[in-house]
Order: sequence, then C-alpha cells, then structure tokens
Amino acid sequence: MTFGLSDWINILGQVLDRLPLTLAMLVVSLIFAMLIGIVIAFIRIEKIPVLHQLATVYLSFTRSTPLIVQLFLVYFGIPQLLLTFGIDINHWSRFVFVVITFSLHTGAYLSEVFRSSYLSVGKEQLEAAYSVGMTYPQALRRILIPQAFRVALPNVGNHTIELLKDTALAFTIGIIDIMGQVKLILGNNYGVGMFQIYVAIAVVYWIICILIELVILWIERSQRKKHAGISN
Amino acid sequence: MAGIDLQFALEQVPKILQGVPYTLLVTIVAMIVGLVIGTILAFFRIYRVPVLHQLTVLFVSFFRGTPLIVQLFVFFYGLPMLILSLNDTFQWGLNPDIMSPLVIALIAYSINSASYLTEVVRSAIQSVDKGQLEAAKAVGMTTFQGMYRIILPQAFVTALPNLGNHFIMLIKASALAFTIGIMDVLGISRVIANDGYRFLETYLVAALIYWLLSIIFEIILARIEKRARTFEGRASNTA
Repeated sequence: MTFGLSDWINILGQVLDRLPLTLAMLVVSLIFAMLIGIVIAFIRIEKIPVLHQLATVYLSFTRSTPLIVQLFLVYFGIPQLLLTFGIDINHWSRFVFVVITFSLHTGAYLSEVFRSSYLSVGKEQLEAAYSVGMTYPQALRRILIPQAFRVALPNVGNHTIELLKDTALAFTIGIIDIMGQVKLILGNNYGVGMFQIYVAIAVVYWIICILIELVILWIERSQRKKHAGISN
Repeated sequence: MAGIDLQFALEQVPKILQGVPYTLLVTIVAMIVGLVIGTILAFFRIYRVPVLHQLTVLFVSFFRGTPLIVQLFVFFYGLPMLILSLNDTFQWGLNPDIMSPLVIALIAYSINSASYLTEVVRSAIQSVDKGQLEAAKAVGMTTFQGMYRIILPQAFVTALPNLGNHFIMLIKASALAFTIGIMDVLGISRVIANDGYRFLETYLVAALIYWLLSIIFEIILARIEKRARTFEGRASNTA
C-alpha cells in the first residue's frame, strides 16, 4: 500500500474539482459582506438613533459567538422561526443559507474596518474639500474614499483570507465543497487514507491563501506608488 | 414543530452548561501551550537561527493559511498513524488509543494557537527598544537574564491586547472540536437539537452561552490590561 506521487496528483485533482464552489461561496459572500459592512459603518459613523444601538448588539453577537453556531442558527433556526409565521423556506438551497451566514459574519468585521479607515482620514481633509467648493458626495468620492481605501486594504485582505478558511465549515450543513468531497474520494480510490485526503485539502487552501495574499500585496504596492506620486 | 418553545430552551441550559468545562479546557490549554511554543519559535525568528528560522516561517504560514477544521482532521487521522509508524520503526508498543479525541483536540488547538502567537510574541519583543537589552548587559546581566528580567516583562504588556483577542478567538474556535467528538458546548447542543428537532432553541442557548463567555473574559482581560498599564505608567512617571 504505497502512496505514490501519481496518487497525490490524483487526489489533488479530485479536490480541485470542487474548488469553483468554494470560490463562489467566497466571492458572493464577500460582495454582500462589503455591502453590509458599508451600511453598518454608515449607521455607526452617523450615530443614527435605534439603528445605531441595534448595530452595536449585532456586532457584539457576531463577533462573540462561533461562526459555526451562527451557521447552525441560520440553517436550522431561521426556517423554524419563519414557519411560525407560515413562511416555508425549507426548500431554499443550502448555498443561500451559507451565503447569508458568511455575509452577516464577515460584514460585521468589515464594518469595523470601514469605520476605522473612514475615521482615520482627518476631518481637515473634508474641510479642505468643502473650502474648494466640493459637495460632500464629491469629497467622499475624490478625497475621503481613496485615502480610506489605502488604510482599509490590508485588513480587508486579512478578512478575505479568514472568509476563505471559514468556507470550509459549509460542509457541516451538507454543501459538497472541497471538504464535502471527502466521501466521494474515498469511494473512488481504493486504499486512500483520510489523512492523505485532508493533507491534500489543506495544501489546496494554503495555495489559495498565498495567492490572495500576493494579490493584496500587489494592489497595496500599486496604491503606494500612486500615493508617493501625489505627495512628491 | 413550529414556534419557539422558551420552556424547552430554559430546560436545556443546565445540560448545555456542562460543556463549558471542555470549552474552557481546550481554550486554556491551547493558550498556555501555544504561548510557550510560540515564544520559542519567536526567538528562532528574531535571532534568525538557520534552518529553524525558515521552518518556523513555513510552519506559521501553513497553520495560518489553512482552515482550522482541516487541521483538526489532519491531526485526527494523522496522529494515530504516526504512533503506528513509530511502533513499526522503533518496535515500541504504544497503544494508538492514547490519542483520544480530547488529546488530539488539545494538540491540534495548541499547535494552531502557537502559529498565531509566534507572530504576536515576535512583534511584542521587537517593540521593546534595543537599548534596554544593551543597558541590561551594561549592568552585567547575561542575554538570558536581560531577556527574562527586562525585555519579556515589557513585551508582555505590549502583547496583552493581542493575547486577549487571541483568547476570545480560541473560545470561539473551540466550538469546532465537536467535529471530532468532543462534548463541549456545541457538541452537547447538537445532540439535543438533533434529538428533538428543536434547533432554534438549542443553538440560541449555545450562542448565548458563548456570547456570555466572551463578554466575561473580555471584562477580565480588560482588568488585567488596565492593571498592567497603571504599573507601566507609574514606572515611567517616577523615572
């Protein structure tokens, strides 16, 4: 029972088969998370009554409870809750529940990233923009966001990587992603151990993480160049 | 089976609370062992010890770049295999059953935690001014004494907020241990929920317990931090 190089390549291939689903969960959740993050950050910056307090509770809850508990609450709990009101969503795809959970979870973290990066841009920047006759939306687009973006970027990168790793939890509610593929691989390959499969899965995640890191680094570098140009 | 049964939820609280010791055991062991291993690895990186330095970088990158749940499974299936192969090579008679799920969870969480804490400790030590160590040497301390008496206490204060965050993260991460059969807060909740199809109530109770745990430890950690800070303030004021 020797486990050769061709066997490794074989499992890696089967794991990679399910990569698109993992990436789809990552990208779709990230987009919604950013939207949620922007809305919550806006509510917290402007201190809108009631909504502000609700947002604070929501942030505390999502950041203090395990993601897996949130996933179970959304997947098992929400359909049960809605059934009380006569709404049946049990037939919804699992993918929807996964995206809802991951978006709400990552959105909470991103809202803090956005909020702190917005606040990190000095108030005098806005005043200067006003003094040259810009409106607030103009100032936001031309002055505040470009500067806040640079501050937020490393953190957004970190949360993207966290989210990628979090998608590995989706198999617990029956999504056949990289992690859910295990049973199929076991069925197809005689003599492949669970250990080898999970090592292969780990390597795939590792490589994607490194790729995301490289992309973020590349964006950061190109941003820095632009910034240096202006200040010079 | 619709609606929320609050009565049922309340009845489950004592049962689910029985999982708290396991949750805390995994968290605290991972924190302590992780901190010890992390500190050793941090020194490998700071002093750029050949080979070990590169291995540490690889180790940190791997454990931070792969999902914890995958690592748990790698250890779960890998550790018994490791013991069997040790038996084969060295003719040992170790029983692979010593790797109970709890032992595996403790090992996996400790190693995962070490990878994160390596970076925390490294940045904290490097944040202490180099002159401090030089001054320690000037009064006749060895490098080890200087590290132990002068640098590490200061680095500890710098590292406290990060250590606190990591501790809270570990509480949440420990919830994954149910996947290898640990009966922690989530493990017990799952059994109860699957038994009576009362998912919403049970997971809500579990979530509230985790929430409360996080809040309690946040308060404790804030106190510790404050105490460390006032000490720091006083020292610099008298100087």
